[in-house]
Amino acid sequence: MPCVILLDVSLSMSRPVLECESYQRRNLAIHGINVLLDHLAATNKLEFVSLVVFSSLWERLVPFTRDYDSIKTALNNVEDYDKTCIEPALAGAASVIVDEWGSAVPSQVILITDGNTGLGPSSLKHSLQTIGQRSGGEDRFSLPFTFPCKLHIVTISGSQDPELQTSLNMFQRLIDINGQGGQLFVPEGSLSLKSVQQMFRELSEKYFSPLLRVLRCGNLHCNVNVFPAPTDYDRPHDFQHVYKELFREIAICGFLDISDVASPPFISRHLVLPTSSTREKPEELKVDSEKGEAKEDDEDDTVDGRTPAFTVLLHGSLKVEGMVALAQIGEGWYGMLYSWADSKKKSNLMLAVFEPGVDSIPWLGELNHLAPMSSFKQSPYGEEDNKTPFPVRPPDRRSYSQNCVVWIKQAGLQADIQKILRHARKLPEKQLQFYKELNRVRRAALSFGFMELLDALSAMLDRECTLLPGTAHPDAALQLSHASNALRSETARDYAQNVVPLTTNFSSGD
Amino acid sequence: MSYPHSHKTVFVLDHSPQLSEPSSQPVDFDIFNKTRGPGIIPLAPVMKTLWTCNVEAAVEYCRIVYDLFPTQKLVRFITSDTKATLLNSWAQDEQSVNQLMLRFATIGQPNVRQNQKNCSIMHGLGQAVEILCQPTTKQHEIRTSFTEEASTVLNRGRIICMTLINSDAHIRMLEDCVLDTLIEHNKLTASSDNLIPIHHCELELIHVVPYGEKSAVTSSPRRELSPLLASETHVTQSGRYVAIRLVELVQKHFGLFSTTVTGIPMKEEQNASSSANYDVELLHSAEAHGELLKSDKEGMIVPSKEGLNTQTVALKWCTPKSNTIELQNCTGAHRITPVDVYSRPSSCLTNFLLSGRAVMLEQPRKSGKIMSHMLASHGGEIYIHILNTARSILEDPPSISEGCGGRVTDYRITDFGEFMKENRLAPGRTQPRDSTLPIDKSKSQLERMTRLWPMVIGDTIIFNMLSHLDPLPSLIVKEHLDNDEVLECKKAIYHVVGMESRNEPLPVPALGTRGKGPKREEQYRQMWAELDSFIRGHISSSSQHQKVLECLLECRRPAEDGSKGKKQTDRGSIKEEKMEIGETDLAVKELERYQRLTEREKHDLNKAEKSSPDSPPAKKFKGKSDLISKPSAGPQSLLTLWTNRIRATHAMRHQEFAGRLQSSGSKAELYPHMNEENGGDPASGAANTGMNINKNIKKQT
Repeated sequence: MPCVILLDVSLSMSRPVLECESYQRRNLAIHGINVLLDHLAATNKLEFVSLVVFSSLWERLVPFTRDYDSIKTALNNVEDYDKTCIEPALAGAASVIVDEWGSAVPSQVILITDGNTGLGPSSLKHSLQTIGQRSGGEDRFSLPFTFPCKLHIVTISGSQDPELQTSLNMFQRLIDINGQGGQLFVPEGSLSLKSVQQMFRELSEKYFSPLLRVLRCGNLHCNVNVFPAPTDYDRPHDFQHVYKELFREIAICGFLDISDVASPPFISRHLVLPTSSTREKPEELKVDSEKGEAKEDDEDDTVDGRTPAFTVLLHGSLKVEGMVALAQIGEGWYGMLYSWADSKKKSNLMLAVFEPGVDSIPWLGELNHLAPMSSFKQSPYGEEDNKTPFPVRPPDRRSYSQNCVVWIKQAGLQADIQKILRHARKLPEKQLQFYKELNRVRRAALSFGFMELLDALSAMLDRECTLLPGTAHPDAALQLSHASNALRSETARDYAQNVVPLTTNFSSGD
Repeated sequence: MSYPHSHKTVFVLDHSPQLSEPSSQPVDFDIFNKTRGPGIIPLAPVMKTLWTCNVEAAVEYCRIVYDLFPTQKLVRFITSDTKATLLNSWAQDEQSVNQLMLRFATIGQPNVRQNQKNCSIMHGLGQAVEILCQPTTKQHEIRTSFTEEASTVLNRGRIICMTLINSDAHIRMLEDCVLDTLIEHNKLTASSDNLIPIHHCELELIHVVPYGEKSAVTSSPRRELSPLLASETHVTQSGRYVAIRLVELVQKHFGLFSTTVTGIPMKEEQNASSSANYDVELLHSAEAHGELLKSDKEGMIVPSKEGLNTQTVALKWCTPKSNTIELQNCTGAHRITPVDVYSRPSSCLTNFLLSGRAVMLEQPRKSGKIMSHMLASHGGEIYIHILNTARSILEDPPSISEGCGGRVTDYRITDFGEFMKENRLAPGRTQPRDSTLPIDKSKSQLERMTRLWPMVIGDTIIFNMLSHLDPLPSLIVKEHLDNDEVLECKKAIYHVVGMESRNEPLPVPALGTRGKGPKREEQYRQMWAELDSFIRGHISSSSQHQKVLECLLECRRPAEDGSKGKKQTDRGSIKEEKMEIGETDLAVKELERYQRLTEREKHDLNKAEKSSPDSPPAKKFKGKSDLISKPSAGPQSLLTLWTNRIRATHAMRHQEFAGRLQSSGSKAELYPHMNEENGGDPASGAANTGMNINKNIKKQT
């Protein structure tokens, strides 16, 4: 997940460190950031990082990039500014993320500062005191973030700093207000190159390590790195708090055609990259070949490249057949694997994670009730593969797909009346349609308690009867006056009883 | 957990005689006479009553709710005159517009003969509070579940009351009535298992005046009357204005927002050759515009074009180019319903979508085009899909060919494609007696089918010769095998045995082997080993599977302890012995005969095969190899070849002595059955061939 490094560059950061005079706090912070960047370069090269520095103002020094060296270079040229103002800095980090990724992508912000939280109205203390008096809108406190985001706060501060404890309490409060995870990091023991390094290593390993999983399809399996790491689901729903943990395995349950899954909504997408099965081997290799590391890397690549991986097979077949694999990723929690190509036509295996629950995709039915096609007597896909059991239809139809009646606007009623008239003029050919429409309007009028309409309709049919041309079929006049009388009668008030055509000498010939 | 008020809505409709007043908005229904020449006087417009307008508006409210939230958003109706009448229950099957239309038809218009003084809306309001105390299916489910939520479930609901209000004091009176009933019922529920107390209720009073009239009371904003009750009063004119007000309320109550699809090209009704552009306004959950509602930078939120007092997001229609099916990067899908479902443009759009086409919607931005949404139907329901427009963190991903296994070129892509097709899913039901979920059955099927599934062509022989092995590979992975299927499997094995005896080449992949590759003999050895482990993977499934393996082992036994040469000789002699019957046929016949035996006999026979020398199948090979007395290993000598030939020629001329055929050494035991079976049929001893013995066994059964 994308990460903003929010570095304090106020004057206080250039205070020398007591224990080793040659370093300023800022140097230690930069050293720590380098530890993090090196960790990413080694394990998670796809992670995007942006560098934002702040004092009383904030500035995005490096936009989101995977080129960690550019951040390292920028860090070397950071200057000193005035005082620490944390609240606007957090707002700055938020806008950097939202502008780039929108508000759906889970992200992380690492705030790196000394324990100094500023003075006066721009101080963190003041921000926290006034938090209850905000009116919202522009004035809103920048936390909690309006998008999924962890907030880590890393203090470059010795434990003997007098004001540290007060600051730590405030920092913890910030993390709590955000309430989306994150951690407060304080160097252990005295402030030194080593303790800072250790602190950043802890941060890197805990929050920036690749997520290793096993992709399994029956007995076929493959170790994979899922990027970006999916997170456990933890959200309140209408009636329950839903907490779902991810399984260690991504277990394929079966397959579906792309046209059947039909662009289902998902909460996140992740690349599924096979990891080297020979993870442990490089150590041994190094002993053997001390001559050239570059060469050894190459060899390692080819060994990996030539060992068949299940992901590659799966990806290839999914792509060729235009299918997706339905996979279980947690208790009652599913996702789908499919071949995804970016704009440059580089394709890879992708995992889309659905909303937890078995009914997250209505048109697939309950996901845990999907059965193998072999368990049906007749293939649900047809003998010649020309059918599909999807989509699953809901028990009742929506208003737009059935014959509902809405007369709120005059035009609706007028159109229905016109339809009756049109059929009336073509009697007796359109007798069936005439009575069908007539009954439909009659029933709606009964439901709405619109009895005036029945009388009006009856009057109109009477008039139509008089307007019939001389060439009209004699049955037309009979049916019209019959219908008109029927509308006035008591039986017309019975919802269940239809007005039926008059049986005439003419109709028997039909 | 939000426990939304929208879970339970109760409409209380005033059904007293005063509601049969006309709404004062005339409806012209006879307007199509222009083309019919002069002289026709249009019929007088009709007038809807206040009641009709209220019912129309309330049904429209429900239509929107049921279209967008088919479950878990429940609406109940109460009419109130001299008493309260319930029109439906909380049950899901009573939650539909059709049901309501039927019930309203039964209730009819207000009875003008009733005395207004005996009628009161209070009956309905009291009843409304009472039914809010009744748990819905969902609430019952949670309360009786063994989760921590069970005890904390909050019962919230909303009462929408449509009536006529005289004064502000009247409002207070109605509010007090609801509040008192609430407190009273909450006390009652404490002693009941079936009822739950109301934790909070919203009361919406809607005062409707005839069109064009002024109201004595004014709308008042929401006030919290107590921790249990909040109240709001709306005043609206009747006619279509009451419907508009309720559509605004449904948007507020259910967190809806609107999208107007602009520039939809539609053919004119009169003039089919020309087309005009229309706009259609749709309602859906506000989440569909989550991103936009947080920050509307480009001014895309505009006032509603349907005359509603609300806002809408205008998105441009993009005519779909083709029917290509691809997966969109879709982060959400919400049901939609048209604001004006009865208009022609709306039904044109919905019918187009219901026919299976998908329409992309474009945000009209100054800088370039952005497809932000997609309209598509699934199973008769139309959804608005949210497409991700922000930069993706997955940009510039590594290609699959760069990763592990990416350089391997001989993956069994097509075979796995077939495998996937066979393992497609279809919606099923759990059988009442079956506790396994269908999806778990599917997983165990995948497990069975992948017990031996080589990923690359170079790693397998048997999966490259499927045409020869059919239908064994598809049968053996099944959970259960019937006798016919076992037979089919055995046939397949015999077929391959035949191939080997004819020394047919195996389709061994040439990949990775330079030069000639392994010798044919070695190939067959590998093939048998692979087939062995393939079948062995499934013997735990059932005893029928076990039989297939036994058959394989049976065929393999001579090959294991003898040389290829010897095997060929054996097979050769069998062939010549039964000239007219093909080898496979023979095998099949034997098999059929075997099938006809009872379990007991099969068991005996199997045991005999292992121990007793006189059991036909086993002894055949053994006996003859000794008879021929050739070296047990190594290539055939010229002498052996010659002897075999002579022997074969001779064998054609006479029938081999059955005793010798069955004997384990050069000595043949006479009448072996005499000792075995007391008083058995002595004729069996004199049986000429193995086949005859079998007949005897049959007779004994």
